[in-house]
Amino acid sequence: MIFVLFGVSLIVFYLARGFPAAFSPWAQYITYRMTPAQIQTIIHRHGFDQPLYVQYWYWLQDVFHGDWGYSNWANGLPTFEVFASRFPFTVELTVVATILTMAIGIPLGILSALKNNTAADHAARIIALTGYSTPVYWFAYILQLVFFYYFWLWGLPYLPSGGVISQGLASAVPSVTGLPILDGLIAGNLAYTADAFAHVILPAFNLSFISLGYLARIVRASMLEVLRQDYIIMARSKGLPERVVMYRHALRNALIPAMTLTGLFFAGLLGGAIITETVFSWPGVGGVSLRAVFQGDSNFLILYSLVTALIIVISNLVVDVMYVFLDPRIKY
Amino acid sequence: MTSRPDRKDSRESETGARIAELKYALHLMRQNPLVLSGLVLVVFFILLSVTATWIVNPDEAYVLEFARSYCWSNRAISWGPQGAACPQGVTYVLGSDGFGRDLLKMMILAIPLDISIALVIVAAATAFGVVIGAIAAWMGGKFDEAILRITDIFFAFPGLVLALVFAALFGRTIENLAIAVLLVWWPTYVRLTRGQVLVEKEKTYVEALRSLGVSPVRIVLFHIIPNAIYPILVNMTLDIGGVILTFSALMFLGFSPSPALPELGNLAADGIGHVFTAPWLIIFPGLTILIIALAFNLVGDGLRDVLDPRLRR
Repeated sequence: MIFVLFGVSLIVFYLARGFPAAFSPWAQYITYRMTPAQIQTIIHRHGFDQPLYVQYWYWLQDVFHGDWGYSNWANGLPTFEVFASRFPFTVELTVVATILTMAIGIPLGILSALKNNTAADHAARIIALTGYSTPVYWFAYILQLVFFYYFWLWGLPYLPSGGVISQGLASAVPSVTGLPILDGLIAGNLAYTADAFAHVILPAFNLSFISLGYLARIVRASMLEVLRQDYIIMARSKGLPERVVMYRHALRNALIPAMTLTGLFFAGLLGGAIITETVFSWPGVGGVSLRAVFQGDSNFLILYSLVTALIIVISNLVVDVMYVFLDPRIKY
Repeated sequence: MTSRPDRKDSRESETGARIAELKYALHLMRQNPLVLSGLVLVVFFILLSVTATWIVNPDEAYVLEFARSYCWSNRAISWGPQGAACPQGVTYVLGSDGFGRDLLKMMILAIPLDISIALVIVAAATAFGVVIGAIAAWMGGKFDEAILRITDIFFAFPGLVLALVFAALFGRTIENLAIAVLLVWWPTYVRLTRGQVLVEKEKTYVEALRSLGVSPVRIVLFHIIPNAIYPILVNMTLDIGGVILTFSALMFLGFSPSPALPELGNLAADGIGHVFTAPWLIIFPGLTILIIALAFNLVGDGLRDVLDPRLRR
């Protein structure tokens, strides 16, 4: 686990610092008024002219002291501060998207398994496959076009096309958690919560549409597998009603792989949904990371990659532990 | 010398069995209308990409005419009050792009690039992954451990960011973008092949081959990999769709070598600033990507069902 993080940091450090022509790490320390000699002095003073492994050593020391450098995308604010101020938005989007994925994907998978090889199963299969064949950016713009532009054009109640909260409500409640929906609830401002929810629904649906197909397929496969087990035949031969067999006996065990998959989705989304956040101007870490790539903000990219890797590594660990918890037969 | 004809016989019957199995698989696939429609679509798109330059003359289609940019002439669909109409006498079925070119013709010219890039990336990832994975599984020990750790690192990496950074650093050529996507895709094949080879390695036929003194390279190449190829094949088919999506997403996000390049993601990117005035520019190229990816996924999904006996019905 430590090794993986170390490896990620090495690769990303080499990519972000090794090519000063594209990503100049000293960009945040200079202004356009400085003379070339002054720039050279600054480069030398910050050690950017040292060999990369020396720079990596300096960087490692800084990181262990909690210093992640400055972000040139955010005009020289501390990188960690920038990241921390954007992360709650990504968390909100991820939570809503995961709930939507489960709410649609699991029933779809169950339906598919129960009506195996019927028209309903084929329809569910098409939905699932379409989900993971869809270009995320395309679907995002389709959602915007339909639910914002055309609904507005037709005089229907329309959803906002982007952002987290309407202009007029921007500072209506104090920021406690940083998650707009939760903040609105804490302050008891239901209009704020409703507005925040209206803003999150399109990007969240965009994300979940892509992943609910996988979930539905996994639920279907594991449901079919479980239904073939002896204890299901046993339950049926006891004369239990089909509904009890399905939901009490089969579903519980069939959902174990689905839970782990959902956990992995959650972790993946927590790393920021670059395309969705960009299209919906969602101020999360994913959208910022794309702008950081374009602006050569090496410090932000390093922090972003490391946090994402950490989330993925931890979620893998949690999933392994969850397996033991959910299925007592597994022992390590 | 006496053993030679016997060996040939057994090999022939083995191929016979394999052909029978393939026939059964094809029979199963034919029963599934979804897979069949996927196959038809895949064949259609491959034929289209082979004949694209005959259907549309690139020299005529590439002519830039800014007076006709972002215009719509097809009366059958109305996009709302803001869409601009084409000048008299211009009939573009799916409207025009920012350069005043016929979008439909551009899409036809773009399909070969997308499909061939995806095939090349998947083939390269497979070749690389199969070789590394097979060596790792066969050798075991330190080498295997090292390869495992390296793939772990790549799995933990945010994939799209790695590709974005690579494309930003090494320049926006099609080759570099392909390498950027490849960088994200190869570890899956290493893991898949490694797992397969580890299982096959313990089987008795490998032991028999070893005791016959067959060289390890031969065993892996001609005996183990053919037996382990089905899951890899399924993964390849399913990945073609994913690779097209990722490659076109890179283009869409602004890593295209030229805004005029006919590539489906790049054509859609032209419409970003004109979503409400020229929605066709995003809708149709994106829809084409969706259909291509769906076609390959339908075939891959069907293949998986057929080749995985547990899912066979």
